[in-house]
Amino acid sequence: MEQETLAADGPVAGTVSVVIVDDHGIFRSGLRAALGPVISVLGEAATVEEAEAVIGATAPDVVLLDVHLPGGLGGGGAEVIHRCTRQGTTARFLALSVSDSAEDVVAVIRAGARGYVTKTISGPEITDAVQRIASGDAVFSPRLAGFVLDAFGTASVAVDDELDRLSARELEVMRLIARGYSYKETAKELFISVKTIETHVSAVLRKLQLSSRHELTRWATERRLL
Amino acid sequence: MRPPLLRSPDGVIAGVCAGLAAHLGVKRSWVRIGMGVLTLASGAGVLLYAWLWIFVPTAADRAAESGRQTGPAAFMHGVGAGAGAAGGVPAGAGSRATGQTARVLGDPSPAPAAGAFDAEGWRERTLRAGRREVLFGTALLLAAAVLVLQLLGVQVDWGFFVPIAVVATGAALAWSQLDEVRRARVMNRAGAERAGGTLRLLAGIVLVVTGVLVALSSSGSWTLTMATLVAVLAVLAGVGLVLAPWGLKFWRDLEAERAARVRETERAEIAAHLHDSVLQTLALIQNRADSETDVLRLARAQERELRQWLFADPTRDPGSLAERLKVAAGEVEDLYGHPVSVVAVGDAHLGSAEDALAQAAREAMLNAARHAGVAVSVYLEAGPDTVEVFVRDRGEGFDQSAVPADRAGIRESIHSRMLRHGGSSEIRSDRDGTEVRLRLPRTEANAAPTEGERQR
Repeated sequence: MEQETLAADGPVAGTVSVVIVDDHGIFRSGLRAALGPVISVLGEAATVEEAEAVIGATAPDVVLLDVHLPGGLGGGGAEVIHRCTRQGTTARFLALSVSDSAEDVVAVIRAGARGYVTKTISGPEITDAVQRIASGDAVFSPRLAGFVLDAFGTASVAVDDELDRLSARELEVMRLIARGYSYKETAKELFISVKTIETHVSAVLRKLQLSSRHELTRWATERRLL
Repeated sequence: MRPPLLRSPDGVIAGVCAGLAAHLGVKRSWVRIGMGVLTLASGAGVLLYAWLWIFVPTAADRAAESGRQTGPAAFMHGVGAGAGAAGGVPAGAGSRATGQTARVLGDPSPAPAAGAFDAEGWRERTLRAGRREVLFGTALLLAAAVLVLQLLGVQVDWGFFVPIAVVATGAALAWSQLDEVRRARVMNRAGAERAGGTLRLLAGIVLVVTGVLVALSSSGSWTLTMATLVAVLAVLAGVGLVLAPWGLKFWRDLEAERAARVRETERAEIAAHLHDSVLQTLALIQNRADSETDVLRLARAQERELRQWLFADPTRDPGSLAERLKVAAGEVEDLYGHPVSVVAVGDAHLGSAEDALAQAAREAMLNAARHAGVAVSVYLEAGPDTVEVFVRDRGEGFDQSAVPADRAGIRESIHSRMLRHGGSSEIRSDRDGTEVRLRLPRTEANAAPTEGERQR
């Protein structure tokens, strides 16, 4: 049911090219099989160095990136994003992880990933998420929305410290996503269009990536992220 | 109430004065001055000090003693008798051991299983304590013998005895330090790195050296003493220089070995955990491979358990609302095999109202898993004013007016329960799914009616 819903309100169909970066061979092949026919897998990589090379060589639309990877300086997925960004890649990153820990989520989102999903995600869901990322949207799982609310606080305030606070509307969107609503359901609930929801989510993602907000820093420090 | 008379672990010599000061409620320096003054009265202070040293236990001794009382009485009896035998000659030690035996035997509490582990360390310590008492007893007997001899008219060479006594005291100090370290290992207590320990060791060494010097030069002149001192220091420095690299290497080896042992322990713990949980579950999954629901359920339960072990925040209060919801979600998952994911923003202490909220939420999860038969999302938001819980599923939904009146689940377990605690609940259901919304105002005021409710 949900998968139908998600697929239905996804962007216009068109083949999206991806590279799968994960050090687990079994998971890579499983994911390759689970991705829908509208996704073409250009390559796979198992380490930070391999990922950098493969992404540089194939220039995919989307990189499905495991958070924990061997190689490099030990920075895992975040390091792959940093390296590729330095090379001027146009690929967008969707983080995949078995871990729920705030450390992993925040590190990889702050590095530039446009979404974060757990590895238990179903095939149609991941297909939809990839298409979303490819069209420039952000993908927020309920848990990521929960982290955002936790980090930014649940009170909305004035516009002047725009980067450090969520607007009332963004808060509402985050709350609904955290409650398990899809974008479409959220739009219906708030009487706005899915496109507007996407705009709000992207704005939240930008704040999460750019905010130097004191509370965010403290929140991260408390969880030993910095 | 006075603190019990225990030897303090941070005392200068054996913690007697510090312990006594804590017990009497006066400043340590006063007790020390008092001891000094008593010492001037023909050495009474020293005797008192030694007496207290022997008979006053340290806090660690006391802890071990209280831990031991849970042990099996028969085992304790055996050990107590052994200690009594070892303590043999000196009356004090003997009576103490007997006292212990009597106390242990008199302990009326039934003996649970935990005793054997601690009892091993205790046996060792008791035997050692006995040995120490034998030493002290012997020393006292010797002193008495010397005094008696002098009374009988035998000329005693004090110039010989005093240095010997000083050497013995110094050695006792240094060795008591070692004793402390060993005890620390036995007690799993990391107290050996204290500055006081080093100080005591140094004091012991200085006393020994002084004693030896005095003994050697008791007949000689001051200049001779100085020359001897210089010679001794030179020899010590030379020996130290020669032994330093060896000692350093020995120390490093010891450290490396200790680190390796810590790593090994850690690895063993992880291996044990994986064996107990993951491997067992994998074996179960292979057995049940034909039942998809069983496999799913096992995998989810194992995942949850492993996550808890890996990522659980130890600073987080296990009795909090969020943890409570997670536990409930796990139970529902196990019961019906549908994943129940919990997202928590903020947290609340588990008062009676929050407890009711958690129970209502659990009921909602159960309903969702039972009737909707799909994945369930639970969201907790604990703000400054309200605590809200949302339980959502994407099942078929149901018509609330069509629920028969005799079905009390939703009405009693959710609506009434929330109302009783000053909260509210709302259920929305359509063909896209169902959402139960529970809200609890977060005020001090709602604690009062809750209490009244309980008493009624």
